[in-house]
Amino acid sequence: MQEKLVIGHFYPDLLNLYGDRGNVLALMRRAQLRGIEVEVRRISIGDNVSNGDIDIGFIGGGQDCEQNIMADDMRNVKGEVIKQMIEDGVVFLTVCGGYQMLGRYYEEHDGKRIECLGALPHYTKGEKDRFINDTIYEIETDGQTVTVAGFENHSGRTYLGEGQKPFMKVIKGHGNNGEDGYEGTRYKNTFGTYSHGSLLPKNPVITDMLLSLALKRKYGEDYELPELSTETEDLARKQAIDYINGKEGKASQ
Amino acid sequence: MGLKAPAKAAAKITQGILRLMGRGATTLPGRVAISLCPDIIRKCAQGKKIITITGTNGKTTTTHMITSMLRSLGYEVITNVSGANLPSGIATTFLCEKPARGVTPDKIVYVLETDEAAFARIAKDLQPKICLVTNLFRDQLDRYGELTHTRDLIAKGIDETSARMVLNADDSLVASMGKTREGRATYFGLSLNTMLENNRLHPDNTILAASSDATFCPDCGVRYNYNATSFGHLGDFECPSCGFRTPDKRYELSYDASGNPSDEGFEFDMTDTGTGTTCSMTLKIAGSHNLYNTCAAVAAVTEFLKSENEGDEDKLFEQACRSQGSVEAAFGRMEKIAVGDKYICILLVKNPVGLDRSLSFVAQSSDADSLMLVLNSNAADGRDVSWIWDVDFESKAKDLPGNIYVSGQRYGDMMLRVAYSGRNIDGYGSLEYATTLLKCALSDCPAGKCIYILPNYTAMLDLRGRLVKELKLKDFWKD
Repeated sequence: MQEKLVIGHFYPDLLNLYGDRGNVLALMRRAQLRGIEVEVRRISIGDNVSNGDIDIGFIGGGQDCEQNIMADDMRNVKGEVIKQMIEDGVVFLTVCGGYQMLGRYYEEHDGKRIECLGALPHYTKGEKDRFINDTIYEIETDGQTVTVAGFENHSGRTYLGEGQKPFMKVIKGHGNNGEDGYEGTRYKNTFGTYSHGSLLPKNPVITDMLLSLALKRKYGEDYELPELSTETEDLARKQAIDYINGKEGKASQ
Repeated sequence: MGLKAPAKAAAKITQGILRLMGRGATTLPGRVAISLCPDIIRKCAQGKKIITITGTNGKTTTTHMITSMLRSLGYEVITNVSGANLPSGIATTFLCEKPARGVTPDKIVYVLETDEAAFARIAKDLQPKICLVTNLFRDQLDRYGELTHTRDLIAKGIDETSARMVLNADDSLVASMGKTREGRATYFGLSLNTMLENNRLHPDNTILAASSDATFCPDCGVRYNYNATSFGHLGDFECPSCGFRTPDKRYELSYDASGNPSDEGFEFDMTDTGTGTTCSMTLKIAGSHNLYNTCAAVAAVTEFLKSENEGDEDKLFEQACRSQGSVEAAFGRMEKIAVGDKYICILLVKNPVGLDRSLSFVAQSSDADSLMLVLNSNAADGRDVSWIWDVDFESKAKDLPGNIYVSGQRYGDMMLRVAYSGRNIDGYGSLEYATTLLKCALSDCPAGKCIYILPNYTAMLDLRGRLVKELKLKDFWKD
C-alpha cells in the first residue's frame, strides 16, 4: 500500500518568520525517505480548506504586519474549520504566532486585547522585553526522556488554561512564560510551541511522533512507522547542545 | 561648542594607537570623537557633497562601485571601509580620511555606506545630495524586527533632508517610499521584458517555496499580483486593491536571459528611459544580484552628475555607464584569491536572500570545485540560525559543486541543512578545523578551479585570521 500524507501549510506567504519552512521540509523528508507520498498544500488567504482535506496542519509565526493580515482571515474564514479539525484529532504543529493564535486572546502590553481563535484555553500577554535565546527542553515519549534543542524569540508570555497540558519541560531558556518551567502545549494531536531553530529538523523524535500520529489516524492504530536512521539529525542536535552549553565553538579571535 | 578640534585630535590619536597595535582603526576613533563632541558628524558633513547608500543587501558592493566610478570621472572620493557603516564608522571616515593635497573642494565626494537604522539618526546631520536605497530583505531578525519598520526609519531620515532619492523600483517596500515623495524619487530596476524572458526560460522548480517577505501590500493587506519576478520579493508587482505598482524606471537594465550572469564579462544594456539612451556594458562583478547593484550604481552616479552639471542628460548618463568599466571586485565580495594554481573565493552571506543568491551563483559558476559553508551565531551574525531553513537549497542542490564542506560555530545546523537538501557532506567540523577542511578541499581541487567559501559575518572575520596564520596567505584584506 502506498501511504500518502497531505500537509496543509497555513499562510506560508505570511507566516514564515523563523525557519518555519524547515519544519515542513523535515516532515516531508522523513516521510518521503520511508516511501510515503507527501503533498504540501498551501492554505493562505483565498485558499479553501475543509475538514478531511489534510492530515497534518502547520501554522508558523510572522511579523506583526503580516500577522494582522492573517489574523482577520483566520478568525473570519478558516477559524471554524481549524477548530473542527483540532477536535477531530488532525495533527497540528503551531509555532509562535500560530500557537498564540490558537488560544483565547493576546493582550498587548498596553492592555489592548486581540481576540484569538479560542481553539485551546491558553492566553498570551505581551511584554516589552523579548526572550531571545537558545533553548533546551525535555519531552517524555514512549516512556523515555528525550532532549530537544531549539531557539526562542518572543515577547508574549503564554499561560495555559486549567488542566491544559504542556508540551515540553524547560531545561534552558524561558518557555511559555519564563515562570512555570514549561514550554508549549499539547491537546489531542495538536501541538503549540515557541521553539524554532527550526524545531523539527534537529529533533526527529518530534517529527516522527507527528508523522506516526497522522499515519495511525489515517491508516489505523496498527500502523507502524518504518524505522529510519536519525544519525545525522542526532549529530546536529548534539553539536547544537554542546555549543549552547558552551562546550565548543568559541571564535578564535 | 568648540569641541570639533579636540574631538578630531582624539580621533587621530586613537587611530594612531590602534594602528600601532595592529588593529584596523575603523570605528573606535569615531566613537571617541562622538563622545567628546556629539554633533561631530553634523559639523564634519557641513557643506560636503555626500551620497549615502542604505538597504539590507548590496550596500558594500554598490558603495564600492560608486566610489570607483566617481574616481574614474575625476572626483576625489572619500568612503568608509566595508562594514564601518554605523555613526562611529562614519565619524571615523570624516575625521581620519584625508583628501589628497591640492584637490579643490568641489571635486571631493563622500560616498557613505550607511546602516539602515543608523541612517534615520544621522541623515539630518549628513544632509546628503543623493540617497540610494538598494533593497529591503529580512536581515538578522533578533536585531531589527519588522521590515516595514526599517522602511519607515529610512523614510523618516530622508524626510529630514532635501536629498534626491534613488530607489529600487522592483522592491515593493523600497518603491513605496517614493509614493508620497514623487518629485524627489528616481527609480531603477530590471526591464519587465528581461524578467518575463527570465521567468519563461528558468521556470520555478522549487518543491517548497523559499520564505519571502513583502509579498502583500502593507497598506491594503492584499497579495500583490506579480507580472514577473527576479528574486526574493523583487519583481513587477501591482496591488489589486490600491493599484500601487512597480514605478516607471528611469534607469533600466536588460539582458539576454539565455546568458549566465555568473560568468565574468557578462554583457547587458543600461537604458535611460528619460532620454532613450542605451549603453552596452560588461558586468564587472559577477552574479545576478550584482546586476541590481550595478544598475543602482549607474542610477546614483548619473543623478549625482546631473546635480553637478548643467550638461545634456544623455551625455551624463553615458559618462556614468562608461565609468562602470573601472570597477573591480573587492575582497570578500567575489574576489578570487590565488592559492598556487587554484583559487578560493569568499562570498559573505548575512541573510536568507544573500545566501540564496550566493548559492545560485556558485551553482552556475563553471569553475566551482567545492563549496564551504561557515555558520556562526554571535550577536553580529544574529544568534538565531533558523534563517538557513528559509533558503531554498533544494532547487539548487543538484547544481552545487561535487564537494561540500561545513564549518563554523553552528556546523551541526548547517550540515543538517545541506543534508536535508539531499546532498552529502565531504567534511565538517568546528572553526578550529576550518583550515584543515580547506586544505583538504584544496588538495582535491584541480588547477584553475575554485573553492567557494560562504561564511556569515563573524565567521568571515575568523576565517580571515586563520587564512593568514594557518594557510600563510598574505593579509589580502586591505581596509
